[in-house]
Formats: sequence, structure tokens, C-alpha cells
Amino acid sequence: MKKIAFKTLGCRLNQYETDALASRFHKGSYQLVDYNEPADVFIVNTCTVTNQSDQKSRQTIHQAVKANPDGLMLVTGCMATNHKQSLLETPGIDYVVDNDHKTSIFSLIESHFRGEHPDPEGFDEDLFSYDPAFKTFHTRSLIKIQDGCDNFCTFCIIPSVRGRAVSRPVNAILDNIREVVDHGFKEVVLTGVNIGRYDYDDVNFEQLVAKILELPGDFRLRISSIEPDGFTPHFFELFQHEKLAPHLHLCLQSGSEAILLKMRRMYTAREFRQLAEQLWDRYPDFNLTTDIIVGFPGETEKDFQDTVQMTKDLRFSHIHTFKYSVRNGTRAERMDGHLTERIKNQRSAVIRKISEENKHLYFNQMMGKPQRMLIERISADGIARGYGENYIPLRIKAKDLKRNTFVNVKPERIHDAKEMELWAKLL
Amino acid sequence: MKLRTTQDNTHELLDTRHLTESAYVLRMSRRGLQFRSGQHILLGEAGSIHNREYSVYSAEQDDYFEVLIKEVDDGLVSKQLKKLKPGSMLQLEGPLGFFTIEPGLIGNAKFLFVATGSGIAPFHSFVRSYPALNYKILHGVRYASEAYEKDTYPSEQYVLCTSQDKKGDFNGRVTSFLESNPVETDTHCYLCGNFEMIHEVFEILERQGVPPQQVHAEVYF
Repeated sequence: MKKIAFKTLGCRLNQYETDALASRFHKGSYQLVDYNEPADVFIVNTCTVTNQSDQKSRQTIHQAVKANPDGLMLVTGCMATNHKQSLLETPGIDYVVDNDHKTSIFSLIESHFRGEHPDPEGFDEDLFSYDPAFKTFHTRSLIKIQDGCDNFCTFCIIPSVRGRAVSRPVNAILDNIREVVDHGFKEVVLTGVNIGRYDYDDVNFEQLVAKILELPGDFRLRISSIEPDGFTPHFFELFQHEKLAPHLHLCLQSGSEAILLKMRRMYTAREFRQLAEQLWDRYPDFNLTTDIIVGFPGETEKDFQDTVQMTKDLRFSHIHTFKYSVRNGTRAERMDGHLTERIKNQRSAVIRKISEENKHLYFNQMMGKPQRMLIERISADGIARGYGENYIPLRIKAKDLKRNTFVNVKPERIHDAKEMELWAKLL
Repeated sequence: MKLRTTQDNTHELLDTRHLTESAYVLRMSRRGLQFRSGQHILLGEAGSIHNREYSVYSAEQDDYFEVLIKEVDDGLVSKQLKKLKPGSMLQLEGPLGFFTIEPGLIGNAKFLFVATGSGIAPFHSFVRSYPALNYKILHGVRYASEAYEKDTYPSEQYVLCTSQDKKGDFNGRVTSFLESNPVETDTHCYLCGNFEMIHEVFEILERQGVPPQQVHAEVYF
């Protein structure tokens, strides 16, 4: 039996695609092994969203090539799409497969081991025909509902590497969710590049979510990262459904109206603020997390202070902070006013500190409020860890706990380690 | 870089119409390409790795495809495209974007279009695509000579705001016009042009009570 190892960088969509590929190889009688172990095939699913992502992807590839000179090395993902030629010229890399052909990786590797010399681009382009990701590396099941983005934000390279927005057929999504729920998954997470723009046969994102919520089974649905535009009042009503987790990762990027315009975002800071307030009016404990880019070209101290104020006012319980990074070919690359790394680092540190403070505030707000915890792992000392519906990391210690089961708990105190969690007790 | 370079997205240049020394309209073959007025495309010379975004200038029902281009002093693509002769091949990606009008509002709502410079392009497309549209255009330029093809619009629906000469309908910027001519709050406002104008007009419209959901912007850089 051949051994195969995967390494994934970047977003949840990449993670989903790795999970699905791993499932396909597992079904095809390959043995999945840890990335640090010797293997016959290594697959690196790369990311190119920032310069740092490119560097991490390259480091990962080089380390794998060095550690396993005899293994077959295949590189895929966004960085592979963006820097295909240079990767093809890199010693030790056998195949570079772009995003459009990622679904064909199993066929390609099989063809290779039959002694053929397959051309990755000789396979059909297909964004959605992945196997159900049963052999996932997580307790949650990621479900891809769309790919690509048409927004063309001025800083973003993703439309160039993921292509135009394409939505997966409704029935394929519903069937996929039925399969994973039947297989035992308790939490389904919707993924894509810009899932809020889902549109298939006149079914939009909100209508899709409503259909998913009607599916039978004991599972909960989490909407992952989403852009804050195009919501209707009906969207807020959906969160009344007990299956829909009261959490959104709503990408703000900046609190400055001027910078949002320069980024070509599809909303204003005022609209974003209204959206958050509408959510909290209806659901006071709703958890909002976000992305912030600091140091966008032309970002003044005043612009940055607008972001600081907004991140404090909206109390995002987690802020994924990015330093602006030039991406070749984007409109922002050609803008004036690029800032120094020193300023970006300073601003990044400020936002990270606010994120920590906000997390403390939110966790304290949630103290004593019941959560339905999905147990993701249980350590040898009997401590079970997982997440509640509000996406709070929880830990409990009790007898007879089982992985991948729901338990009702009440958070009691903060566990202030490197990654803050809440100790809870069983109800 | 994932750039679609197949023959499927190449279009023949049919004509170049020079509106001023630096502004021109490229007309190209349509090849059945569907778009909605207000959308934009990525356009470059066929085979080039360089392209830029341009709003569609022509109407949805035209059998050709047009874009309005303002030559940029230190620009690359706008200079390249200006030199092309009819018969040259262009490469385009798109259409893209959401700067469009909900079909149900056409003929049933009031619209204000605020443009600076070549930001008039999507409004030219709106007006020509939807004859039933109830609209007014504010077009901000430096000189009256930059009132690109203003005969397209009935004079009572077009206000030329000139900041550097007094030959327009209003001497000053579009923002000054808006300050002294408040917008009715049930108006759907579309803003296209430089980001400073859009930023200021957003503020003005908010002060005048226009709901943010009725304000749409397309920024030109």
C-alpha cells in the first residue's frame, strides 16, 4: 500500500479540498500518513494571499523535498496557480497542478504510478467534483458551495488564481451534506471564496442556507468567512433556527470609509456598523469575528484610528490581522502611498492587542451561558476540548465523554493559556 | 497568473473615436458577450499580460461593444490601446461587477448619476440601455470640452459642472452643486469617478438623508 501525506496552507477552502483529496486517496487504498513521516507521495496545497503565504508555501515545499528526496512531490493550490512556471523549474517538484485541475489529482497520481507521464492540464477542468470528505483531518465537515470571486478588491490576488465566481448546484450541496451527516459529522461549515454571492438557478445564499437548515439530522451549520454585503432582513431571521450557529466571520478590512473605497469594498463602514447592530439587537450574544488589513497604501494615522475605534466599538472577539502585502497585478500595487514595514508592524500590534482585549470581554460576557459543545478531542488526562455554537473554545473534564458528540455545558472561568479557552461544566 | 488567453475572449477593434486629445472610445466586436449596464471589463491588447478595468460604455442591445478610455499620463495600457488600428485584436475578461440597476426599479424610481471625468461611461450605458429611466446626471469635469458626447442626454437631465472654466451649466465641482441642490431622499444615487469625489458625495448624501442602501459607488483610480 502506498503512503501519501498532505500539507495545507491558507484558507478553509483549501482545507476542504485537501480533506476531499485525502478521502479519495484513502478510498483508493492509499495509507494517509503524517506529513513528517516518509511517504511515497507528498501533496502541498499552497496559498498566495500574502507575501508571507508565498514564503511559507515555498519553505514547506523545500523542507518536504529535502526530507523525502525519493517521494513524489505534487504542488497545488493558489500559489501553484500564481507561480506555476517558477515551481515547475524548482528541482524536486514532480507536478504542479493549478486550482482548475485540483479535482483530478487522484487520477493524475494513479496515471503516474501506471508508468505514464500525465500532463495535469490534460485532465478536465472541474471545481466541484470532489469526493465527500469523510477522511477529514477535522471533526467539522467543510462543504464547498462556490469558488472564485468577482469583487476584484484592489488588494486581492484571489480572483486571478481562483477565477470567476462559480456556484455549485444546490442538489449537489444538499446531497453532500446528507452524506456527511449520515456518516456521523455533527457540524457542517460552508466554505468558498465569496460564499455570500452564491447564486445557482436563482437560489441565492440565504435561500441555500434555508434549504440546508431543513435537512434532517442532528447537526449544526456554521457559516464561515463571509463578505458583509448583499444581506436582506431574512438573513438575520435565519439565525433563529437552532441549527444555525450564531457566529459570523464578517470581513471588515478597514474602519476608514476612505480606505474601504480605495480597497473597492462593496460596503461602507457605516453600513457594516448597522449590520452588526442589527445582529446584536436580535441576538445580544452573537459572535462576530473579522479580518483587518493594516497599512493599505495611503492609510493615514486618522484612517488607522478609525479602524481602531471600530474594532473596539464592534467588539470582534477575534481579529485576523494582516499586514498589507503587495500582490503583483492588483490595482493597489500601482497606488501611491505604500507604507513601511515598521508602520505596518506597529499598527498590526495595536489591532492584535485589541483583539485579545475583545476576546476577554466576549468570553466574560458568555460566562454562565449554556453552550452546546461539540467535543473535538480528548487528551490523555481526560480533558475534552471543542467549540460551542458561538465558536467559543471550551474545555471540560468529565467521565464517559466521547469525541464527536454534543454535550450541554456552562462556561465557568477563563483558561488563560497561549490560546484563551473557557473551562465549562456539564449541565 | 491565471489570465484567460484563449481565442474565446479576443475581440476585433472596429473603430477608435477620439473625443478629446486624451479621451477616446474603443468600439469592438461584441461576439455575443452578455453584460449588464454598469459592469466593467478587463481590457488589454491581445497577447499582452497587461490589462486595465474599463466600464462598458455601449448599450446592452448594441451589436458592438464600447469602452471610454482616458489616457493616463504615465499609464501603460491606455497609451497602448490608443495606438491600435481597426482590425487589431483585443483581449478582455469579464463582464465584472455589481454596479448595476435592479430591473424592477427601471421606470419606477428616480435616479441620480454623479460622475467625474470618464466615470460617465456606465451612465452612458444605463441611459442608452434603459430608455424608461427617470434620471439626472451630474458630470464633473475641469473644462467643458470634456463633456464626452453630452448630446446623448436631454439637456434638462444633464448638468455639466466645470471647475476650471465657466462654460458648463454649473461653475464648480459636483459636490458644490449637490450642497446647494439637495437630493430627494427617495432617489437612488450612483456615483462613479475618482475616490475623493465619491467619498465627499457619500457624506453629502448622508447629511441630506439619503439611505446608504440607495447609494452605489464605482471607484476609478
